[in-house]
Amino acid sequence: MTAKALILAGYGLNCEEETLHALEYNGIDGKIIHINDLIETPKELESAQILAIPGGFSYGDDTGAGNAYAQKLKLALMDELRSFVERDTLTIGICNGCQILTNLGLTPPTGSDYGTRKTAVTYNETARYQCRWIDLKITNKSPWLKGIETMHIPVAHGEGRFMMDDDTLKILQDNNQIAAIYTKDGAPANGEFPYNPNGSAADIAAITDPSGKVLAIMPHPERGMFTWQRDDYMEIKDRAQRTGSTLAETADGMALFANAAAYFGVKSKQAA
Amino acid sequence: MTTRIEVLAHIDDGRAKTLEKAIKAKGKSAAVRVADIYTSEHAKASSDAFTQSLANPVTQETNTTPNDFDWALEIGFLPGVTDNIGHTASELLSLAGADNDNDVFSSRLYYIKGNLDKSDIEDIANTLSNSLIQRATIKSAAEFKADDGMDTIIPHVTLSTTGNTAADIVDLNGLSDEQLMEISQKGIQNRGPLGLPLVYMKAIQEYYAKQDKPATDIELETIAQTWSEHCKHTIFASPIDDVKDGLYKGFIKRATKEIRAAKGENDICVSVFSDNAGGIIFDDNYLITDKVETHNSPSALDPFGGAITGIVGVNRDCIGFGQGAKPVINRYGFCLADPRTSPEYYRDKALTNPILSPETIMKGVIDGVESGGNQSGIPTPQGFVTFDDRFVGKPLVFVGTIGLIPRTINGKPGHKKKANAGDKIVVAGGRVGRDGIHGATFSSVALDEGSPATAVQIGDPITQKKMSDAIIKEIRDLGWYSAITDNGAGGMSSSIGEMAEQSGGFHVELERVPLKYPGMAPWEIWISESQERMTMAVPPENTDKLIALFAKRGVEATIVGTYTDDERAKITYNGETIMDMDMDFLHDGNPETPLTTTFTRGGEPEPNIAEPSDHAQTLMEMMGRLNICSKEFISTQYDHNVQGTAVLGPLQGAGRVYAETSITKPVLTSEKGVVLSQGLFPRYSDIDTGAMAAAGVDLAVRNAIAAGADLNQLALLDNFCWCSSDEPERLGQLKRAVEAIYEVAVKYETPYVSGKDSMFNDFKGFNADGSAVKISAPPTLLASSIGVIPNIDRAISLAPKAVGDLVYLLGATKDECGAGEYYDHLGHTGNNVPETDTHQALRLYKLYGRASRDKLIASAYALNHGGLGAALAKKAIAGQLGMDIDLSNIDLRTDKTLYSESTGRILVTVAPQNKEKFEKNFKGFEDLHQIGHIAHTNKLSIRNVLDADIKALEKAYKSPLSEY
Repeated sequence: MTAKALILAGYGLNCEEETLHALEYNGIDGKIIHINDLIETPKELESAQILAIPGGFSYGDDTGAGNAYAQKLKLALMDELRSFVERDTLTIGICNGCQILTNLGLTPPTGSDYGTRKTAVTYNETARYQCRWIDLKITNKSPWLKGIETMHIPVAHGEGRFMMDDDTLKILQDNNQIAAIYTKDGAPANGEFPYNPNGSAADIAAITDPSGKVLAIMPHPERGMFTWQRDDYMEIKDRAQRTGSTLAETADGMALFANAAAYFGVKSKQAA
Repeated sequence: MTTRIEVLAHIDDGRAKTLEKAIKAKGKSAAVRVADIYTSEHAKASSDAFTQSLANPVTQETNTTPNDFDWALEIGFLPGVTDNIGHTASELLSLAGADNDNDVFSSRLYYIKGNLDKSDIEDIANTLSNSLIQRATIKSAAEFKADDGMDTIIPHVTLSTTGNTAADIVDLNGLSDEQLMEISQKGIQNRGPLGLPLVYMKAIQEYYAKQDKPATDIELETIAQTWSEHCKHTIFASPIDDVKDGLYKGFIKRATKEIRAAKGENDICVSVFSDNAGGIIFDDNYLITDKVETHNSPSALDPFGGAITGIVGVNRDCIGFGQGAKPVINRYGFCLADPRTSPEYYRDKALTNPILSPETIMKGVIDGVESGGNQSGIPTPQGFVTFDDRFVGKPLVFVGTIGLIPRTINGKPGHKKKANAGDKIVVAGGRVGRDGIHGATFSSVALDEGSPATAVQIGDPITQKKMSDAIIKEIRDLGWYSAITDNGAGGMSSSIGEMAEQSGGFHVELERVPLKYPGMAPWEIWISESQERMTMAVPPENTDKLIALFAKRGVEATIVGTYTDDERAKITYNGETIMDMDMDFLHDGNPETPLTTTFTRGGEPEPNIAEPSDHAQTLMEMMGRLNICSKEFISTQYDHNVQGTAVLGPLQGAGRVYAETSITKPVLTSEKGVVLSQGLFPRYSDIDTGAMAAAGVDLAVRNAIAAGADLNQLALLDNFCWCSSDEPERLGQLKRAVEAIYEVAVKYETPYVSGKDSMFNDFKGFNADGSAVKISAPPTLLASSIGVIPNIDRAISLAPKAVGDLVYLLGATKDECGAGEYYDHLGHTGNNVPETDTHQALRLYKLYGRASRDKLIASAYALNHGGLGAALAKKAIAGQLGMDIDLSNIDLRTDKTLYSESTGRILVTVAPQNKEKFEKNFKGFEDLHQIGHIAHTNKLSIRNVLDADIKALEKAYKSPLSEY
């Protein structure tokens, strides 16, 4: 089996190459596509199984992170995007992609609200860009997160704070749409900086649509997919060298992309 | 009709909270609401679609005023200043159905409630804005109500066009020396200085005496740009004393030439000193490039604008290397005054124009690199901050970019390019405004509608990102252009002028250049330094498809002329010839200006000081010194792992120590890594610039070697930031520094591949009582290193890894505290500045290289500011592990053992099982000292000297700048 993934690019998105690498590493056929090219040939979506909106700084975060890119997608491709997520497909938005998905209303509280903004991802409580490693607890059953309990991966954002009204939060909680929360020593970070790096409501780091197939995640799994990318790589490497053990090639973030491959029955190159 | 849209943020807004915190820090208390304002004259701006596209209904309300506030403060841009938010809003306006040429202007409104008076609000306005580029409007709640809100302001640029002449004639015939110098100093019709010395002015006069027509304004402006110190580097190029070739050819370039010859087949250099960056071999498939720039003068006036323009500017140097390199790592470096002080200096005698405070400058330059680097998607793991109060009026702002480029592109070497006669001149990117005209000279006059922010510029990273992606990720590999370069200093006059040297001439049709606003004179268009532009030479058959592809990526590209081979530099404006000069004269017509120097060693007698009575206390104080303490707050706001390539980051170990060296894996599928570091010791120049420069180069090399870089694949960049370079004594200091770095590099066989200089870092102004002062930045060489580590599994961090590991000090510790941190802490300069023993150092680096290849070293730190004491403490903090140390075998009094800054030393830890192999590796090397081991304690213990709690050390190290 094979699966085709589209990775969006353009207007300041900037993590498309490493996101492509993550997908290809797991045997998925990936293609980076500029938003203007996708607008010109929306049929590309029909033959794809995976849509990835990578991290970046689309439109410089001006008018709110992800807003302008989402407006552009909404005007040109909303119907096509809706049909895409209604098929048996997987969609992921990482960081700026997460902000774009929430601005598009593709990770809504209930199935009938597709296209309505109910959650915002806005300015960090510190009002400062935060690039640091955090710990996540996985809290729902999205196909992207199957079998994953915790992840140690980095965040890098100025606007990563999930905000919503109480009703919406309750719906997300009741429907199990909160996909990952920030933790401290295994317990919820309870808003404590820097474990929760942005002041996100209920320590939310990622949410999904009701089906779990659309994942909007602020932290960057593709920056923590290899052991050598980890912030404690030097310590891990040293221990392995002392004990004569072999270092695992992949790290927590890779599982997410491996799950996407497995969902479509794609055998990863490593397994093959 | 003008539409003003106010988007009010949720009451719980990070920006509002941060301002509340800042107000609280000043002893007041206030509640703040923030609104983003968009103003436009376009008819579609009043549409619901546009309004809705600007606001997120979850957290924002449109056109709502909060009920309860005492003050309203609005900050917007002055006319002509780059407004990136406005630019994005205007794209949204296009999506809402407007035509593409529409303007939206952004501003930000703060509603403030609290017991504050107007002067408090003015203080807040001053911290939030810079009057050089921004306007601040303040209204009390009553005024707000009476006026029915804030005023609607459209910051249009309106230029008074000067008649119909495309160019003004400047007849130099028969002018006296005084008259020539008046033109040079005040400019043509007082437009701003040309800045040329008399010998140059006379050479120009002589040239035109032989021509059949007098000079035009645009010709003189072009010559002034081309011959400027900034572009020609005349101080480094001129004969100096008995060095006929000058400092650059005679020492720096010669060092590289000799090293390349000595290395023979193992030469790593591919492109040195000839392009926008230097390029060395990375692996069989790729080159890595590096370039470090300075942006000092602009950053003194507008720190944010200066720094962001600097970083996106040096990104373009990378994009303009060879056929175009992909920016993969950014560097930064700031030399600043103490941000906790408020020195009072003014630019004018009337004391109305104060300099910016050190805190404002620090925050601004940090923010500028943050914006530029983060938005461009380039990791910024590598940098430093150095403090000295003499950087008060002229901070040094270093920015650098490492690039990655295939060694072969379309069957041709990736680093080669040539503009051919017949190629079209295509400029892509942002439009041209009055930005940065005469960028080197600043006016202290307030800017108004008629003089739109010409001196300062603000970068537009997203416009550049779109352009960069289009070039590096698509067009380059299609082979549609024959050459490419960036637009930096001098704008098109430099970029086109330099590329035309390859073809042998150019003809530019200046009316084709897209402008930000009407009314600019041709000479302004030609030398404008408007940002985010690349210039290409494009064969005529490729221009249509190239321009079309750029357009598809949201980038404007325009043909502005043709490269020729008639040896003429020619410009027409609507058909009228306004410039027509010999290429030869333009590029090589500047006469030689021989320089002479003197040199006097500085310093004082060595001070007679007592040993500290409490060594632990002294160590705590040393760790809190600005040049030693942590700058973690910078690292966490710079995205240092975008592109997924970070191996060894800026914060190392569980204790997160701010490190001097980083490792990056720019090719995800390669085992190799790029090792970056730097070294600089500005204060050593108080005693000897030679020692200063040698120590800087040694540290740049040693840091990289300590982390595991291969000495055989290590290159250097030199950035000289000097002062008063028209004085023989300063030139003597310069010559001594250049001689020193020649010797160190040749000894280590580490070639210079790129460099830059900034020669007049002096502040001339007035102190609080109105007397004239001149504050010169200490002569500073920044040495930057770029190397390759053959496999990242050999990388070595500074953090100790395990209890029981042995601690070794490699290298000799001498009585060398002169101009170092310890003496400065005690208020002395001294005389014994560290001298670099390159022979011993090289022996060590080679032996160390073998040990690191064999993975015998668990952690390593190259000693620098604060010597062994600071190094031990940083290691203990990084590893969060205790250390038992015994220094009794080092034959030097204890305080000097701890704080001497002798170069060539590395502090390492070694696993006990590797002890034998490690010591055997260094057999015969006399400066190997086992000084202790990593202990199962929470203390740094130095026998008979001190016991320091690691948490207390960490606090001393981390607290000084933690609130910034």
